[in-house]
Amino acid sequence: MPRFFSNKRLILLLVGVIILVALISFSLKDRQNASLPEQVVKDVVGFGQSLFSKPALYITNVIGNIDGILNTYEENKHLKVRLSEYASGQAELADVKAENERLLEIVGKKDDLRVYDPVQATVISRNPDQWEEKIIIDKGEEHGIKKNMAVITANGLVGKVVLVTKFTSTVELLSTENRNFRVAAVVAGEKTYGLIEGYDRKRSELIMKRIDSSFEVKVGQKVITSGLGGIFPKGLLIGEVTEVSTDDYGLTKLAYIRPAADFSLLDHVIIAKRSSIVEGTDGDGSADTEGEDGS
Amino acid sequence: MIRSIIPLIAVLLFFLEPVFSLFSPVNIGNDSYTLVPRFVIVYLIFIAVYYSRKHAFIYGIVLGLLYDMYHIDIIGLYAFLYPLICFIATLIIRQIHRHIVTVMFLALLLIIVLEVLSYFFASLVSLTSIGLDEFITGRLIPTIIANSIFVGMFGWFFKTLIFKRVIERQGETL
Repeated sequence: MPRFFSNKRLILLLVGVIILVALISFSLKDRQNASLPEQVVKDVVGFGQSLFSKPALYITNVIGNIDGILNTYEENKHLKVRLSEYASGQAELADVKAENERLLEIVGKKDDLRVYDPVQATVISRNPDQWEEKIIIDKGEEHGIKKNMAVITANGLVGKVVLVTKFTSTVELLSTENRNFRVAAVVAGEKTYGLIEGYDRKRSELIMKRIDSSFEVKVGQKVITSGLGGIFPKGLLIGEVTEVSTDDYGLTKLAYIRPAADFSLLDHVIIAKRSSIVEGTDGDGSADTEGEDGS
Repeated sequence: MIRSIIPLIAVLLFFLEPVFSLFSPVNIGNDSYTLVPRFVIVYLIFIAVYYSRKHAFIYGIVLGLLYDMYHIDIIGLYAFLYPLICFIATLIIRQIHRHIVTVMFLALLLIIVLEVLSYFFASLVSLTSIGLDEFITGRLIPTIIANSIFVGMFGWFFKTLIFKRVIERQGETL
């Protein structure tokens, strides 16, 4: 049996392990802010990564387009039926919008929680060891992205920005297991406020907690962001209620929500830059009392 | 010529991993299966087995560090795991024959080791709360199947490439 280690190597290995453990504990402690070397690495690797990801996304788009063409006839028939409804809906919407604007002017309200500035971004990579649900996008500080901003797709809310460097940012998806990930939500059209907290992996559904038990929540109702968390704009679609029950203590209600957006195969996302930003539940929210403010 | 191709492929695979993980998780029916691309470690194992342990270590530490900083924000995890896996590979390969098929199986075996180690670490720092059985059915087995396709497709290519480099290096020293 040969000796695996000489004394010198053993010392080297031990020193290496100690350094690594120190590094791991150091980086676990402060994961919200990247240090300067980390930022540089992220930007440089991010640039290289986008050289690979963008052609790959282009190819998947082309394949998707071909797939789309094959379904064109069916879809066209279906859409023609919807078109007439759409036209009248559009006219009504324009009317209501104008009315709303006029009324807002009368009231003299300037800040609207709904107003946001969309920033288009391309997803350049997804965390390959998928323990955390994180994606990296090609827009960063330079493009006005800040931590905790809402990230949406055409279908609905997908997550929020957790880390920003100069040219990239890391987005944590709603399907995370991170307990500190909260979104202030409301049932569309009602005053039923709650917090999206947690994700049920088995059902692939989000859990909306802390709904006041005096409010009625029905299956099939749509849930949107309430804008009360401070950073997310109001009115971003989150999903649809599929089941309502009471929470562990029986004090508040809990609803399961099927997310409107698909969390796999993300390619293009939109970052919602809200015009008026306040600290609140959408932030890191270390204390639970902050959560109560949102509801 | 081949000298520069070897690290180039390592970098290429490093960039390809996250592109492939964009397609994951795969939903079949009600279950979602997570496929983790482990291309870099497969390549490093081939380098460790056929070329030199030292090179595999250096590539492992550098790429591991980049991986840590860019993707998971926990510095030191893969910078430690990658060289460790290469080290285990060299220990095992001393005992067995370096046939391409055995090396392929060795690579798959070590992917399992890497996955299990990263699972333990993730549970330790509570990045995940999935149970062991869910880990095995929902993540480990799909990962092994996906990576075995990769190993089967590129294993032979890696071997011939690295062999060429070994021959080239012998020519240089003569």
